[in-house]
Amino acid sequence: MKLSSGVKPKSSTALLGAVIALSAGVLAVVPQQAAAEGKLSLYNWGDYINPKILETFKEEFGVEVSLDTYGTNEEMLAKIQAGATGYDIVFPSVHMHDIMHQLGLLAKTDIGSHPDFKNIDPQFIRARTDPQAEYCLPYAWGSVGIVYNRQKAEGIEGWADFFALAEKGEKIILLDDLRETLGIGLIMNGHSVNSRDEDELRQAADYIIERVGNISAFTYDSIPLVQSGDVAAAHWYVGANIFAQEIPDTLKYIIPKEGATMYQEDMCVLASAPNKENAIRFMEFYLRPEIAALNVSQQLNGTPNVPALELIPEAIRGNESIYPPQEVMDKLEIFEDLGQDLKLYNREWTRVKTAQ
Amino acid sequence: MTGRQAASHGPNALRRQAALALLLAAPTLFLAVFFVGPLALMFVYSWLEPGLYGGVEWTFYHLNFGRIFGWANTRYESFDPVYLRIFARSLWLALQTSFFCLLLCYPAAFWVSRLGPRARNLFIFLITLPFFVSLVVRLFAWVLLLRPTGFVNQALLGLGLVERPLEIIYTEAAVVIGMVYVFIPFMFLPLYASVEKLDASLVEASQDLGASRFQTFRKVVLPLTLPGIVGGSIIVFIPSLGNFVVPSLLGGAKVMMTGNLIEQQFLSARNWPFGAALGMTVMAAVLLLLVVYVRLLARDDDAAPSGARS
Repeated sequence: MKLSSGVKPKSSTALLGAVIALSAGVLAVVPQQAAAEGKLSLYNWGDYINPKILETFKEEFGVEVSLDTYGTNEEMLAKIQAGATGYDIVFPSVHMHDIMHQLGLLAKTDIGSHPDFKNIDPQFIRARTDPQAEYCLPYAWGSVGIVYNRQKAEGIEGWADFFALAEKGEKIILLDDLRETLGIGLIMNGHSVNSRDEDELRQAADYIIERVGNISAFTYDSIPLVQSGDVAAAHWYVGANIFAQEIPDTLKYIIPKEGATMYQEDMCVLASAPNKENAIRFMEFYLRPEIAALNVSQQLNGTPNVPALELIPEAIRGNESIYPPQEVMDKLEIFEDLGQDLKLYNREWTRVKTAQ
Repeated sequence: MTGRQAASHGPNALRRQAALALLLAAPTLFLAVFFVGPLALMFVYSWLEPGLYGGVEWTFYHLNFGRIFGWANTRYESFDPVYLRIFARSLWLALQTSFFCLLLCYPAAFWVSRLGPRARNLFIFLITLPFFVSLVVRLFAWVLLLRPTGFVNQALLGLGLVERPLEIIYTEAAVVIGMVYVFIPFMFLPLYASVEKLDASLVEASQDLGASRFQTFRKVVLPLTLPGIVGGSIIVFIPSLGNFVVPSLLGGAKVMMTGNLIEQQFLSARNWPFGAALGMTVMAAVLLLLVVYVRLLARDDDAAPSGARS
């Protein structure tokens, strides 16, 4: 273990840190101010809603909107369970929507009976505990695939090519997410990503473990490294298109041909919401096609709002990695809640993470 | 702390005792509520059944420890030596972190203590400067520095010191670099406090009496600065053992430490009792190690000249 080579003068670190901190600070200044008719407080994934939507809502209804963010469903659930109050709306994935419903954390909104709910494509009402959309509104969806550097990995089409890159000495990164990453192993062995079979899971973990020496890291923070070419390709979300759109000659996002997972988040009002009326008003506001389209134009992901599709730019609607053709759609699998069987995944995941 | 001189007589002593009790009441209450309380909760949780979606079921359950120490054997709860292995690796990384921090800070503390008062204050200020910026931001800056096209590698390539970028990022070495970086202030400050108190006349006396430089260091300087070394090492060792931010950012989550394992139980695995059981195990082990360490040092200390104890 040589250390001397890595020790750096402090000042440059501090300076760089300060620059990053400043720019992060500027980005973090999200709508707040304007005290008027009331408040609405959202608890959402980081960078998962177009700030313009919050501004528009604030202007139209005179409601002070605040936004807090989380990084995983579990983080959000743990906080709400631990008694965090003050939030009105959360954005759980479908399986977490089911869990939160069973735990009695969600409020009934009857959003499914609203006249504008006809805008929503019924195939996106996925939560088994909420078949009539009495609680939550399908919010957005997307695939989880591969983002790659075009100079390093042009032409890859799927997971096999992705791991072959690593065999050739290029670097690859997987997500630090037990279900997504074991999911690749399950897909490559022809199993469902919701498998509860111990043997199938062991096989899936072994698939990743056999390749672990070639995997540089398990992390979400891979985009800057793919962009700089330090890493050839990374397991990432469809949101990578946001970056690919800015530097189309460098980055590209694909849905792997062997199949992939998809995610969908629903917009839910918490049972403990202090501003329930404003929360429902916001949900109804989001049923409007132009609002859903406004979100897609910045987020570059999928919307369940059918008339909104007409309003979004052709460059997005025509991008097959965002709106794939039906036969690709059919290969995308969404996670279900596994209850107790999550422990089997956790055990295999620990095995993957400690393999060298 | 123990109030050993409180046995003196008279109403004065009583009044002093009352004042002491009053003064200690606030911190004691604070520690009881915010330290002992959560700890007791953790202990209780570690013997309960995990709730399906986080939280606990209030029934007695010993398999959390069974998974760590070897008697669990069911579909969902089975013994795996991997947990003890992760713990051993964390110990090793934390030891390395303390060692390198000490190696860097010990000479630096002497150097700073010899400077003029203004320069000295400036350096103390500089050492605390990193605390002004969020840890995650500073660590991400290290990712950018250590990656193959990052500053460190480009500088080394430019100087012709290496032919091809070093693979530092996402290795154990990166984790140790990151942790040493994070914990340097914690080592430096206690070290500096005891180095600064070092009486130069004792060093002179030792040399006048014919001790070699090494003997002077071994018999005078080292024992007198030992409290700082012990304090600094403990303050660095314990938090680095439980650190999970550095391994996940700089180790690319491939270097799993106890902190990451525990975080995983509380979040993605939704198994609070198992996380609590792991936490209790680590705490018990650390406590044991510290007792042994302090005992050993105390024995060394007794052998040293009596002036060594401050």
